[in-house]
Amino acid sequence: MRAIPVLVVLLLPFLSSAQITATGTVRDAANAPLSGATINLKNSTLATTTDEGGKFSLTIPGKAGMIEISFIGYSPQTFEVDDAHHNFSVTLVAAAGKLEEVVISGFATSIKRSNLANAIASVSGRELIGTITQPTVDGALYGKFTGANISANSGAPGGGISLKLRGITSIVANSQPLFIVDGVYFDNSSINAGLNLVSKAAGQGNNNFQDNPSNRVADLDPEDIDRVEILKGASAAAIYGSRAAGGVVIITTKRGIRGKPRIEIGESIGVQAQLRKLGQRSWDTAKVNSAFGAAGLGIYNANNGKTYNYEDELYGRKGLLNNTRLSVSGGNDVTTYYAGVTYRNDDGIVENTGYRKTSFRVNLDQKITKTLDFSITANYVESKADRGYFNNDNTSTTLGVSYVATPSWVNLYPDANGNYPNNPLAPSNFIQTRDLMTNRENVNRTLLGTIINWKLFSSDRHSLRLTGRGGIDYYTLSTTAIFPKELQFEKDGAGTNGASIFGTTLTRNSNINASAVYDFRPTPNLSFRTQAGMTAENTDQNTVVSTATQLIGTQTNVNQSGSIQVNQVRTIQKDRGFFAQEEVNFNDLVIATLGVRGDKSSRNGDANKLYYYPKASVAVNLQNLASWSLEQVNQLKVRAAYGEAGNFAPFGAIYTPLVPAIINGNTGSLIDLTRGNETLGPERQKEFEFGLDMSVLKNRLTFEGTYYIKKVEDLLLNVQVPTSSGFSLAWKNVAAIDNKGIELGVSAIPVTTRDLRWNLELRFWKNTAKVTRLDVPSFNLGVFGASLGTYRIQKGQSPTQLVGIADSQDVKDPESGLHTFGNAEPDFQSSLRSVLTWKNFGFTFLMHWKKGGDNINLTTLLSDIFGTSPDFDKTDLDPGKKLTNGNYRLSQLGASARPWIQDASYFRVREIGLTYRLPPDLIKGVSRIVVGVSGRNLINVFKYRSYDPEVSNFGTNAISSNVDVTPFPSAKSIYFNVSVAF
Amino acid sequence: MKKIINYSKNIFLLPIVAILMWTSCKVDVIDDPNNPGAGTISENASLSEIQNLVDGMESGMRDNLNSYFDGVGVIGREFYRYSTSDPRFTSDLLGKGNATLDSNTFYTTNPFASRYRVVKNTNILIKALQNTKATISEAERKAGIAYALTIQAYQLLMVFNQQYGNGIRVDVSDPERLGPFLSQDESLKAIQDSLNKADLDLNDNAARFPFTTSLYSNVADDFSKLNRAFAARVAIYRKDWAQANSALSESFFDINGDLTTGSYHLFSTAGGDQLNPQYFPQNSSGETRVVQPSFITDAQPGDTRVASKTSKRTATAFQDGLQSDYDFWVYQSNVAPIPLIRNEELILIYAEVKAQLGDVTNAKTAINVIRKAAGLPDYAGPTDLNSLIDEILDQRRYSLFGEGHRWIDMRRYDKLDQLPKDRPDDNVWTQFPRPANE
Repeated sequence: MRAIPVLVVLLLPFLSSAQITATGTVRDAANAPLSGATINLKNSTLATTTDEGGKFSLTIPGKAGMIEISFIGYSPQTFEVDDAHHNFSVTLVAAAGKLEEVVISGFATSIKRSNLANAIASVSGRELIGTITQPTVDGALYGKFTGANISANSGAPGGGISLKLRGITSIVANSQPLFIVDGVYFDNSSINAGLNLVSKAAGQGNNNFQDNPSNRVADLDPEDIDRVEILKGASAAAIYGSRAAGGVVIITTKRGIRGKPRIEIGESIGVQAQLRKLGQRSWDTAKVNSAFGAAGLGIYNANNGKTYNYEDELYGRKGLLNNTRLSVSGGNDVTTYYAGVTYRNDDGIVENTGYRKTSFRVNLDQKITKTLDFSITANYVESKADRGYFNNDNTSTTLGVSYVATPSWVNLYPDANGNYPNNPLAPSNFIQTRDLMTNRENVNRTLLGTIINWKLFSSDRHSLRLTGRGGIDYYTLSTTAIFPKELQFEKDGAGTNGASIFGTTLTRNSNINASAVYDFRPTPNLSFRTQAGMTAENTDQNTVVSTATQLIGTQTNVNQSGSIQVNQVRTIQKDRGFFAQEEVNFNDLVIATLGVRGDKSSRNGDANKLYYYPKASVAVNLQNLASWSLEQVNQLKVRAAYGEAGNFAPFGAIYTPLVPAIINGNTGSLIDLTRGNETLGPERQKEFEFGLDMSVLKNRLTFEGTYYIKKVEDLLLNVQVPTSSGFSLAWKNVAAIDNKGIELGVSAIPVTTRDLRWNLELRFWKNTAKVTRLDVPSFNLGVFGASLGTYRIQKGQSPTQLVGIADSQDVKDPESGLHTFGNAEPDFQSSLRSVLTWKNFGFTFLMHWKKGGDNINLTTLLSDIFGTSPDFDKTDLDPGKKLTNGNYRLSQLGASARPWIQDASYFRVREIGLTYRLPPDLIKGVSRIVVGVSGRNLINVFKYRSYDPEVSNFGTNAISSNVDVTPFPSAKSIYFNVSVAF
Repeated sequence: MKKIINYSKNIFLLPIVAILMWTSCKVDVIDDPNNPGAGTISENASLSEIQNLVDGMESGMRDNLNSYFDGVGVIGREFYRYSTSDPRFTSDLLGKGNATLDSNTFYTTNPFASRYRVVKNTNILIKALQNTKATISEAERKAGIAYALTIQAYQLLMVFNQQYGNGIRVDVSDPERLGPFLSQDESLKAIQDSLNKADLDLNDNAARFPFTTSLYSNVADDFSKLNRAFAARVAIYRKDWAQANSALSESFFDINGDLTTGSYHLFSTAGGDQLNPQYFPQNSSGETRVVQPSFITDAQPGDTRVASKTSKRTATAFQDGLQSDYDFWVYQSNVAPIPLIRNEELILIYAEVKAQLGDVTNAKTAINVIRKAAGLPDYAGPTDLNSLIDEILDQRRYSLFGEGHRWIDMRRYDKLDQLPKDRPDDNVWTQFPRPANE
């Protein structure tokens, strides 16, 4: 407040002085204009960007000044501006890394990466989809930044991806990051379709649903994205408060650039195929007899030993992929616009599966006055995913289980009249199921966001800006699961005579925030940035699932049935918060930040209690020391950051409900088995990170290293309580986990000439987690019990350790009597991205190596039980070299969990692409034509004995992922791409 | 100039003021959108919500009855529970070899937890009745609370029957501060006191409950007769013969009445409802209950209760060194009701009380009512107390077969050593262990 009188004095010269306009053109080494480069008056907030032709114009107060011209991927340059020098022709030189990129530093502010004190990762739109078109954003982030463990839950079309940042964030609560798109909180729910009615996967041994739904980030079109910033832990994400413990992924979509309309048309056509074929077991009468006895032998002999290639039948489709893209952008000095349409249609590798998405986006930026501007983003998405029917079951009805339960000599094909035979050896005929059943997700989603900026005043010493943001995320998800009554497992008393399950989820999320940013520069070398604001977020999700059984004829309407059950679940949440932050920058030498967020929420036991999340950070650019003399070192920065963030308890944990209990035709209310906790607060994460960033050889070689300690405290568990209380379980904060990790990145430009440019990025990251507090006895978590391997939460051990029963030679934990066979957490991960451009050719690849990390592979177990494992007759497992693999593994069932806990290391070339840019002016009016070919997951190296080590039967579960039970197999794909710009 | 500055000054204050306003504004507390909340119902329940609580209790009273009856029935050597999926019914419960009762497994924890869950519901009902703003008379309010206390006492008695010497917690209204485990005698006395206290508001109270119950009667004064029947049972457990005598006289005891008159748990095939868990079809294999053979061999010739409560199997059922030719056939359909207490038990309580009080004539009369109903001739044995008690215990064995009494009866007369052991190393347990998480 004391600044105000000073302001008066400082405004005087500004208002009375002259002004000068700097103009010019910015080009790259190949003399191509660079649009979107930033021109910034040093030590001020005055800035502009180059237009589509690389041209700029910036009016600056006073008679002279310094301007800096910067662009991501290039070394910045500074120029003096005065009467004599105000027209510039600038050629920027490529630099490794992203020093000049601007990244988020507060709720409404950003900072140059070179001054950043956090290891905030960023992925540009080009990195995201520049090599290959991507179905989902989270999937596209694979290997492109450090500190994440990303895993596709299966290969089912339409997504379903778990994204965990910096280790384990929670045990039972949410473990996924918060997604924010252009300021709109983006819902990322996974909603079950109710398949459990038929699969009965939950309930026997594990109560979690295993429907394998997609997660709703899938709705976002990767083609629209300009930039993704990833705040991996609390030290960077504290400003997002009680939703930020899992990290925050901030997505900015493309905006228009000043200039004449620029039209881009892109077309990618491709094909996908099963990533890894396992083959089938070969049979003879002895094997048939041993596996299926006389009954099996009868079938085998009746068919003269004929076998069918069911792996090709079920997973062998070459799915056609199509991605069509049209965007238009442009604008003038006051209005810029961007509009994009994407139509995507992917056929899955299983018949009757696939993914179709249409996305339409309009982004509009409008300057109303010199000081007031606003932008509007609007996005509509319609999608349809046919996901098949896979994963675990207890009824032998999923395609995956049925496939491994059926030997290749059983004929499952329909006769000439289309009648499917019953599977004589299993409860279901997977060809019939595949052809007749439906498991579909339909989404209609609308996102609207708006941002208003008002520069109240601005001078070379002071500026004050108000920003208001609001957003609505509204969608309808319809799930349709139809199991017609003629299916083998539905007819003749086997099932429920057909099932038709219709689910509708209405989600309406809204958020609004307002912030004020005040910049103050008492001297040219010192600047203060003060910001404060408030936030509000509302969530309302309503899911109604109608389950009809005893279907009438071939009808699927839920009323055409003998029995209907309806279930409704609602989630309502209101959050209010505020934040304040102070940044100090001394001469780009020392940059320090202090901030706090206060949050209250209806999700907490006390809805009006404010929970505070502080943060603090400091970065020191040693190269800016006056005494610095090392010319070769362009940057040497040490940085440290601390922050706290929260994570809400699972919805409902604060309530002690009365649940329905029926007697004699009346429905009563009986106290629930779980006691809610009316004093429950969020789980709290405290993260400390420090790092070193270095850049040498004219920024052609950069290094970024970070070490972090992330402590997650007050972890919630549903713990057993004395049952004389009337309850069996209660929610309590009883555990803590420490994550420690290291993240390293090296970027280099080994070669840069006018014709040839080579850019390399090498990344390495590793996390180790340990349970440091556990107020309840150690317990097994998830999966299907100790005989098949399970997670175990135990003080002093990793929360992702995999334990199981073991034979007498193995070292056992004295308390549980179980041996630790492995850990789901990788030993480390590493990725290498290479971008090579030579004349008009471009060649890019992304390799990703995950070393270590174990899976519980029960696909093998089920295959062995039914004698169908492809490696059943090999003998590379038994230490005594006597038993075949199948017999060996079966001999261990009940004796040791060893055979099912398998190393899930992999190396894969995630992306590879070759492009050719046709000579310009080939066709009049066409500014650019690029053709190319690209592939995803084309090269895979792993020893893991199933379709793909990247798998999760339990979806995005916080701990118990990495379980493989006959999933939808993953695919590899290849595309041909053409893009044309006008 | 000046204008601009003032303007700026005000604007600069704006966000600070806004934050202060914002943080002071309240977030609406959102009630559970998916279920009624225990808290809100306790504070101000509507009549229909009160009815829901009663229905919830009466539904919950049936939860894990199978674990309860299998526990006391197998240990009381009335029947065997065969299960292919769980060997502990024939090992732990019968004390096979070194097997003991586990303090942390289903047969111990499930019935314990389910009974206390209903107790919790009774406490919520009591609070709801105390605080409801619905229009009910004071007599109705009192009657309703007395109903809840009666059910609560009955549930605690079932917990006590298994915990016995361990004693039980009676005061469990606050989950944060659970009352102590009372001694064996204190536990039973607390149950008796609770029944007596409830009866003060039931007896001679002509009001109807502010809800309907399926358990006996909707009129307080009538429901008192069920309360007194429970009180009589508790009194003989406490060997308080005078109290038992007076309680009987106020109960629905009728020496000439229908033996099946009483209060029952109801079952139905309606969606979401429960089936009688003690029912298995005849000649089931795998999961089944078969009669302990001595029930057949010890029976007096012509006892019709044998034929009506057992069913000869087409093939002998073997498991774990045990065998039986008879299915447990007390409940002959999956919706057969299971009694809480019925007139046949009251007549036998009457006989026991009269024998204990030296009234041989009335004791014999009652015994003979039971014998006659079973197709047996009048009792002709000695009439000393021990002989009469032996005869009454024997009649209770056959009349109340499978209803959870044999083990408790033999225990209270210190005759557990007379229960048959099927395998040389078997043991007869006196009580279940206290659940581990207590």
